[in-house]
Amino acid sequence: MNKENSFDTLSRRSFLKVSAIWAGGAWIVGVPSLSANPHRVLTESEAEIMDALADAIIPPGEYAGGKDAWVTRFIDQQIGRYGYLQHDREMYQTCLPAINNDCRNEFGDVFTRLDKENQAEFLKAVEAGQYNPQAAERGWGDFTPSAFFNTMCNQCMMGFYGSPIHGGNRDYVSYRMLSLY
Amino acid sequence: MATNKHVNAIVVGSGAGGGVVAKELSYAGLSVVLFERGGWVPYAAHGDDELTAMRSFPLACFFGPDNERYRRVAVDQQGNERIVYPNDWAYHNISACVGSGTVNYGAMAWRFMEECFTMKSTYGHVEGSTLEDWPISYDDLEPYYEKAEWEIGVAGDDSKNPFAPWRRKPHPMPPFSHNKEARILEEAAKKIGYHPFSIPMLRNSEEFDGRPACVHVRNCVGFACPVDAKNGTQNTVIPKAIDTGNCELRINSQVVKILTDSNGRATGVEYYDEQDRKHTQTADIVILSASATETPRLMFNSATNLYPDGIGNRYDWLGRNLQGHAYCGADGLFEEEIYDGIGPGASVAAGDFAHNNPDVIGGAVLTNEFIKLPYAYSRGFRPPGSSQWGREHKDFQKHYYKRNASIRGPVQEMPNFESRVEVAPDVLDHWGMPVAKISGFKHHEDIRTAEFIAEKAAKWLEAAGAYKVWKSIPGTGVSGSQHQSGTCRMGNDPQTSVTDKYGRVHEVDNLFVADGSLHVTNGAFNPVLTIMALGYWVSDYIVKEWKGGNRFK
Ligand SMILES: Cc1cc2nc3c(=O)[nH]c(=O)nc-3n(C[C@H](O)[C@H](O)[C@H](O)COP(=O)(O)OP(=O)(O)OC[C@H]3O[C@@H](n4cnc5c(N)ncnc54)[C@H](O)[C@@H]3O)c2cc1C
Ligand code: SF4
Repeated sequence: MNKENSFDTLSRRSFLKVSAIWAGGAWIVGVPSLSANPHRVLTESEAEIMDALADAIIPPGEYAGGKDAWVTRFIDQQIGRYGYLQHDREMYQTCLPAINNDCRNEFGDVFTRLDKENQAEFLKAVEAGQYNPQAAERGWGDFTPSAFFNTMCNQCMMGFYGSPIHGGNRDYVSYRMLSLY
Repeated sequence: MATNKHVNAIVVGSGAGGGVVAKELSYAGLSVVLFERGGWVPYAAHGDDELTAMRSFPLACFFGPDNERYRRVAVDQQGNERIVYPNDWAYHNISACVGSGTVNYGAMAWRFMEECFTMKSTYGHVEGSTLEDWPISYDDLEPYYEKAEWEIGVAGDDSKNPFAPWRRKPHPMPPFSHNKEARILEEAAKKIGYHPFSIPMLRNSEEFDGRPACVHVRNCVGFACPVDAKNGTQNTVIPKAIDTGNCELRINSQVVKILTDSNGRATGVEYYDEQDRKHTQTADIVILSASATETPRLMFNSATNLYPDGIGNRYDWLGRNLQGHAYCGADGLFEEEIYDGIGPGASVAAGDFAHNNPDVIGGAVLTNEFIKLPYAYSRGFRPPGSSQWGREHKDFQKHYYKRNASIRGPVQEMPNFESRVEVAPDVLDHWGMPVAKISGFKHHEDIRTAEFIAEKAAKWLEAAGAYKVWKSIPGTGVSGSQHQSGTCRMGNDPQTSVTDKYGRVHEVDNLFVADGSLHVTNGAFNPVLTIMALGYWVSDYIVKEWKGGNRFK
């Protein structure tokens, strides 16, 4: 654990404690006030790739897709200094550019510019482990493409279907889709 | 190192077992310190956030423990070890707060059946299993079940369940009625000859003991109750214990060691307060109620010259026989919406297959499942081979969220010696103590029984009109989890158990266990009411001895 990380976890712990003390009856939950001053982790271009992935995982239609439901915002917040997924920060920073790169090698264009069908086809291949061999040589570092896909996919579902207090599920869009509100 | 005023009894852990013990001992006039490593977690602190509630907790466990100070080692069936954090299923977390799992549980309040206490005499020796009878019978425990039901509060009506064990007194509250899904299932069960009834619940079907009736929210299991209609130890026996003036609840206090003297008797515990300051608390009696993973861990970490392999471990039974339930069942899809949003969802049960099944050992009660929350539903509950993302996945979610039902059964497991809690000497927690290491597997009979039970669940869903039904069978990995039990087995023979039938650790006259660790077998039902009843049973023994003049010196 590096110095910055240990500061992160410490401050988050005391923050959670404070919120538990304050919770007399009002809706004071751990993290919402943090979204007021989000510490952007993803760069512009990483966020753009993440948006495209989120829309491939949860495509827009009658109800918002991953992008418009703020799935990227959820991930950005959670891998940030007060987030619950700080341990995945490096994974996103490494794998988002890498997935774009692999896509360019395969389809001659970056992921974000591919049409929906090709995006889905490419992601199915990533999911199936087709890009796992020699991934390190193509910029994936210590990460395995298929494992990244599974983690990222799962976290997209959290961002879309979980409570908006964590930064995603904008205006409870998924709850509205399920006619829960 | 600060010391505290000596007390009569220390209880470590304020969950299902510990909360009960603290109340019983303080009512009998003993001075008690009840230790809890966590704090109070009210509803307002977490609200309806599915991602940190105790049902799927992908981000964190809001009811504790935290990922910063706690970890364990999980060993898979190939022997690979991995460090895991509390919000990983392989950690086998219940909770860490005042009340523990009883704050956020589904609140099913089962009495085990008579056969659940006599598994070996009912089914015979099972190769590869340490299956055994309990040293106590259902008849022994019956009055204590009654006490748990009346003091903590259960709604139910056993007269509708022909397989229910005998009882002296009915439940204190009338049973819950069914929502739309459960009504459909109830009718279907009758059609195929099952005997449906309303699940007994540690929730208020009417005002009880000054707290209101349940208002049927969607998210009950995994969450604290917004109106305080769910009965745990945190809102019943623990406040009562504190009200006596004899019991001090010491929260945010991590007990790290049981102290023993040169004669091997327990003298107290060592613990760290919220500021990580080390303290000692001495007592005449120490009761461990830290759960089936943390109780044995404490006993291992308290090794001395007299107890070189851990307290209560002379014959290598400590931490063995870790059990949970081999959960299985079936899921089904319906043409019409069967969801009406009336929580908590689980309310109809059938006891037909808990015991006396042809060709399988034991069995399970069947119940319908709690309402699935959106994230959880996105991660499972789909027919095999369904896509896990993309348009088809989203459409499935939208179409079937209100058109699905599941039946589940907690299959009673065959305990085995290799499924166990140990400590990992080289992996330390925040306070420098070796963490729990969990390894083992399910006995093959459990999977066979699960196949049998899942078939019965599938038949039920088909009878209810589901047009697509598929079964859910557990993997063979080690059990435990939220129903963990068995690691300090009670028994009459000190060579094959850890405590005697009163929960007293063999060889240590003033050290007791009162939590799920005591279970010899874990029943065909969810375990908590049995753990509470054992809390009363163990306390009753201690109090009788105390009143008879035994000062455990
Ligand atoms: C979401 C969920 C749903 C459930 N639903 C049901 C249900 O419907 N029906 C049912 O029967 N059961 C249910 N259970 C299971 C039930 O909650 C457990 O069986 C029960 O709480 C176990 O009781 P215990 O006394 O063994 O341990 P716990 O209740 O876990 O109590 C142990 C306590 O000890 C504390 N502790 C541990 N170590 C230390 C230490 N070193 N120092 C200080 N304190 C310590 C812990 O923080 C905890 O509070 C559910 C559990 C969960 C989490
Ligand atoms: S259904 Fe809701 S009101 Fe009823 S006990 Fe559960 S959380 Fe409380």
